[in-house]
Amino acid sequence: MLEIAIQTQKLSRKFGNLTAVDGIDLQVAAGQFFGFLGPNGAGKSTTIKMLTGLLAPTSGAMELLGLDFAAHPVNVKRQIGVVPEGMGLFERLTGAEYLQFVGQMYGLDRATTQRRADELLEFMQLADRPKTLIADYSHGMQKKLALAAAVIHGPRILFLDEPFEGVDALAAGALKALLGRMAERGTTIFLTSHVLEIVERLCSHVAIIHKGRLVAQGSLEELRAGIPGEADSKTTLEQIFLSIVGQDGAERPQLEELSWLM
Amino acid sequence: MADVAHSVGILTQIRLVAGLRWRILRNSLRKKNSRLDLLGLILLGALSGIFVLGMCFAFYAGAYTFLSGDRPGRIALLFWGIFLFWQTFPIFVAGFGASFEFRTLLRFPLSRGAFYIIALAYGLADFSAIASVCWLISMTLGATVANPGVLPLMFLIVAVFLLLNVTLERLIGSWMERLLSRRRTRELFFALFILSMVSLNFLNPAVNRYSASLRPLAHRLIPYLAWLPPSLAGKAVAAAAQFHGAEVFVGLAGLLLYGAVFTVFLWSRFAAQYRGEELSETAAPAPVVVRSTARKEDAPDRLSGLSPQVAAVVRKEFRYLTRNPVTLFTLFVPPILVLFFSFQFAGRHTTISGRPVSSEMFFPGMMAYLILILMAPAYNCFAYEGRGMQTYFMVPLRFREVFLGKNLMLAFVLAVEIGLTLTMLAWRVGLPSPPMLVGTLAAIIFTVVGQLVIANWSSVNFPRKLEFGQLRGQRQSGMAVLIAFASQLLLGGISAVILFSGRWTGNSWLPAEAFAFLAAAAVGGYFASLDHLTRLAEAKKEVLLEALCR
Repeated sequence: MLEIAIQTQKLSRKFGNLTAVDGIDLQVAAGQFFGFLGPNGAGKSTTIKMLTGLLAPTSGAMELLGLDFAAHPVNVKRQIGVVPEGMGLFERLTGAEYLQFVGQMYGLDRATTQRRADELLEFMQLADRPKTLIADYSHGMQKKLALAAAVIHGPRILFLDEPFEGVDALAAGALKALLGRMAERGTTIFLTSHVLEIVERLCSHVAIIHKGRLVAQGSLEELRAGIPGEADSKTTLEQIFLSIVGQDGAERPQLEELSWLM
Repeated sequence: MADVAHSVGILTQIRLVAGLRWRILRNSLRKKNSRLDLLGLILLGALSGIFVLGMCFAFYAGAYTFLSGDRPGRIALLFWGIFLFWQTFPIFVAGFGASFEFRTLLRFPLSRGAFYIIALAYGLADFSAIASVCWLISMTLGATVANPGVLPLMFLIVAVFLLLNVTLERLIGSWMERLLSRRRTRELFFALFILSMVSLNFLNPAVNRYSASLRPLAHRLIPYLAWLPPSLAGKAVAAAAQFHGAEVFVGLAGLLLYGAVFTVFLWSRFAAQYRGEELSETAAPAPVVVRSTARKEDAPDRLSGLSPQVAAVVRKEFRYLTRNPVTLFTLFVPPILVLFFSFQFAGRHTTISGRPVSSEMFFPGMMAYLILILMAPAYNCFAYEGRGMQTYFMVPLRFREVFLGKNLMLAFVLAVEIGLTLTMLAWRVGLPSPPMLVGTLAAIIFTVVGQLVIANWSSVNFPRKLEFGQLRGQRQSGMAVLIAFASQLLLGGISAVILFSGRWTGNSWLPAEAFAFLAAAAVGGYFASLDHLTRLAEAKKEVLLEALCR
C-alpha cells in the first residue's frame, strides 16, 4: 500500500465572501513528483499556503506524512521545505548568512549548517558573491537561494511555488536534475508552475484546480483517459489542461473583442 | 494602432494623480487595521495640531508686536524661525514624509511640467510645510491687524517666501536622496550627521563659556545673514510697513532671485529623474574569493546557552542592526544627548542654571529618557523583516522563540547603552546613593520588561513595514505610536510615583523594594505572555504577512 504524503479533506478557504479554495480533497503519495496546476486566481497559491502553514484554512482537514497539521504544526514543518510565493527571504543578509539562519531554525547544528550551506551555494552558483546582500541578488539568484534554503534540512516534502520563474536555462537544468534525484530518493515534490512543459516533463501526477475546486487529479495517463474525444499518448498536458479548464467556452478570451488593438 | 492622438493636459494629469492618491487612501481604509491606524494618526494629528496652533498664536503676536512697535525689522526673526523649521525638520524627523513614490508615475506619458508640479505639490503635504504655512498665515494676520496697509505686499512676500521654501525643501530632499543612494556616501553622511549632532549639542555650552570673545565674530557675521531669504523677507515687510518702496523692491527681488535659482536647480534634478535616473546600487562585480583556512564552525559559539532557533534570531537581529544606519543612529544619539544634558543641567558646571540638578534626580531622569528613546522601535519590531517574515511561519518553531530572540537582542543593546550612560554619568555628575541606584536599576527592569509585553502585542496587532536604511518617507502605524506613548506614560508615571514615595515616607529603600517586587512580577508576566503571544501571532499571521511582505 502506498504511503500518503499529503492528504486533504474538504479543505476550504474563504476571504470574506470569496471562496478561494472550495473543499478540495487532495491525495499525494510519498515520493511523487506532483504538479498542481490552475489558471490565475484558481487557488493554487492559497492551497500551497495552507499546506505549508502560512494560511489557516476556513474549514477542512489536512494531513502531511500522517500528521494532522493543525495538531502538530511544528512536527510537520520540521519535515517540509517551502519555496513560497515571494520567496520569503531576509534581504539584508548575505546568501550564506541566510542559509545558516534557516539551517539553525530547523535545528541543525552550526557545523552541519555551515557545511551544507557551502555545498548548496556552490551547487547553486552563488558562492562567488559571499559578501553580496540578498537585496542585491537578481531575481533568479534569489529563487535559487530560496530553493537552497528549502532543502538545507533534507525535507521529506518539498513545496515549490513557481520555482523556475526567472531562473536561467543553465541553472534550471541543474535544479531539475536535483529535484529529479530528490524525488527518486523518496522526497515528495509538490510543484506549481504555469509552464506546462516543465510540469509535463517532471511530474508523474497532476492535479488541476479551477475556481477553487479540484477538477482533475491523477497520473498523466489517467488525465488523458478522462478527457472527451480522442486522446492518445501524444496529447500534451497543455491540451489536457485547456480541455479541462477551458471546457466552458466563455472562459476563452475572445480576440474579436479587442478589434481596436488590431 | 494605439489611440494616442490626444495629449493630456497638466491639470488633468495632476487631477488624475490626486484622484489616485485619494483612491489609495480610501481603499486602504477597507481594512480594520488601517482604520485603527487612521484613528491613531488623527489623535497624533490632534496633538501636533495643538503645537501648531500654539505656535500660530505666538507668530500672530510676534508679527503684531513687531509691526505695531518701532522695530518692524525684527519680523525677520519670525521668518528665520519658519525657514529653519521648514528646512531642517524633514531631515531630522522621518515619520511625516510622503510614502507615495511619485517616480513610479514616470512610466505614464506624464509631461515634464506635470511631473515637476506634482513633485513640488508633494512638498506641501509634509508636516513641516503645513505647519509653516499656518504660521505664515498667522504672521500675515498679525501684521495686517497691526498695520492694515501692509496686507497686499505682505501677502505677496509671504507667497514668494512659501514657494521658495517648498522649492528648497524639495531640492534638499532630492540631493539627499541622491547622496544617500550609495552605501559609501550613506555611511559618510551618517558619520557627518552624528558629528554635527554632537557639535550642535555642545554649541550652547561653548557659546556660554566663550560668549564674550565670540560676540565680535557674531557681529561681523550678522550683515551676511541679511542677504539670506528670511532676512530679505523680513526686511521687505518692515519696509512695506514704513512705506519704503525701494527697500520692498530689493527684498522682493532678492527673494525672487533665490526662488529662481532654487527652481533651476530643482528643475535640473527632476529633469534627471524624469529622464530615468537610476540611483540604486547594482550588484558589484564578483570579487575573487579567498576562502579562509580556519572555518567558521570551529569558532566557539558565544550563544551556545540559547536554543538554536533563538540564537539564530539573535544573530540575524544583530546583523540587521549593524546594517541599518537608521537604527544605528538611534543607538548613538541617546548617550550623546545624556552627555549633553549633563552639561546643561547637572554637575559642577551647569550652563542653564547655576544650581545643578542633583544626581539623585538626574540619574533616574536620564535612564527614563534612555528607555523612552530605545524602546520605541520595539512597538513595531517586525518593521524591517520584509518578506523574510514568511520564514518564521514556515520553519518548525514556536513564535515565542522569535520574540525571545528579538527581545534578548534589544535587552543586550539596552544593557550596553545603560552601561555606557552610567559610566558617563558617574564621570560627569557622580553616582546617586545606593538606594536610588538599586531602585532605578530595578525600575529599569520593571519598565523594560513590562513594555516588552505590550510592545510584542503591538507588533503583532499593528505591523507596519519600514524600508531598510531609509530615513524619509517612513511612517509607523498610528496605533503602534499611540500604544507606545500610552504605555510609556503609564509605566513612567508609576515609576515616578514609586521613586518619590521614598522621599515622602522617609524610607529611602522603599522604592528599591517596590521595584524589585514589580520587576519580578514583570519578568514572570513576560514569560507567561509568550505563549499567549505565540497563539496571537498564529491567529494574526495573515495580517502580519500582508502588512510586511508587500
